[in-house]
Amino acid sequence: MTDPRQKELRGDTEPEESFRSLLRGALHEDTPAPDVLAGVQKKIRERSGGKFYADGWSTAKHPPLNTYLITSLLMLAVLGVSYALLSPLVGDPEPVRNQPAPVQIIPR
Amino acid sequence: MPNAEDQSERKFIERLARRDERAFNELVELYEARVFRLLLRMLGRRDEAEDMAQEVFVQIFKAITTFRGDSKLSTWIYRVSVNLCKNRMKYLARRHTEGEDELEPVAERATLDEAKGVTFGDVAQPDRLLEGYQLERAVQLCIAELEPDFREVLILRDLEDLSYEELSEITGLPEGTVKSRLHRARGMLKLSVERKMGEKIS
Repeated sequence: MTDPRQKELRGDTEPEESFRSLLRGALHEDTPAPDVLAGVQKKIRERSGGKFYADGWSTAKHPPLNTYLITSLLMLAVLGVSYALLSPLVGDPEPVRNQPAPVQIIPR
Repeated sequence: MPNAEDQSERKFIERLARRDERAFNELVELYEARVFRLLLRMLGRRDEAEDMAQEVFVQIFKAITTFRGDSKLSTWIYRVSVNLCKNRMKYLARRHTEGEDELEPVAERATLDEAKGVTFGDVAQPDRLLEGYQLERAVQLCIAELEPDFREVLILRDLEDLSYEELSEITGLPEGTVKSRLHRARGMLKLSVERKMGEKIS
């Protein structure tokens, strides 16, 4: 049978729960953890020269929805402007002439 | 034969080794609270702990390809955290900033005479709240005064509830050495708190 004092000297005994709860209370057990992901991504992006986490927001924990929305609207606007520039919006279309081309008869 | 959990972790590590950014995001989300809490306990300062937590994950991202899977991923993350933290503590010690620990403010600190007789069991009683604050403050100061090697085992065992085997893997010490170091750390902490409070802790 193991002597309790020997066990204590070996560190086999556990402290009382009150001791642990005091340690937890003293060391900010209830402190909420911060969100470190954004900071980590930024550091990796900077130190890898943009090789990782290059775009900065598509891999974010909470992708900014406004960014998606604004980008979508901007693309629609670009398409609309392109269409307006490339197709005539006013005036009637040029009438199509269906008359046959004149035929020249070459005498023998 | 590896169980399902081991296989799942192995696949996760393979994704990390391929520098899968989404896998790494998952890793950070999974461990950020534990890493931050450990660092806060070790360093005693929230700003330092937050900065160091970011640094830990950056180092993990860099070094994940060197992880051979000899231990659990969580144990390896603890090891990286503890090693970086100890380096930081040495740096801070050189800069003499240890006295600026972010501690809970005690509005009206009573004299040590008034705190006499406070024991661990009294903390929960409302009428002994002030004495409880004093005791917690004394514990904070005494833990901060512990040498990093002793602080490390005390926090990992008594607060993080890690096994002796895990402690051995993290510290790189044999289990017997870990146990004796832990025993000494507890003894030193108790003695130090008793000196500060002027009362034997029951």
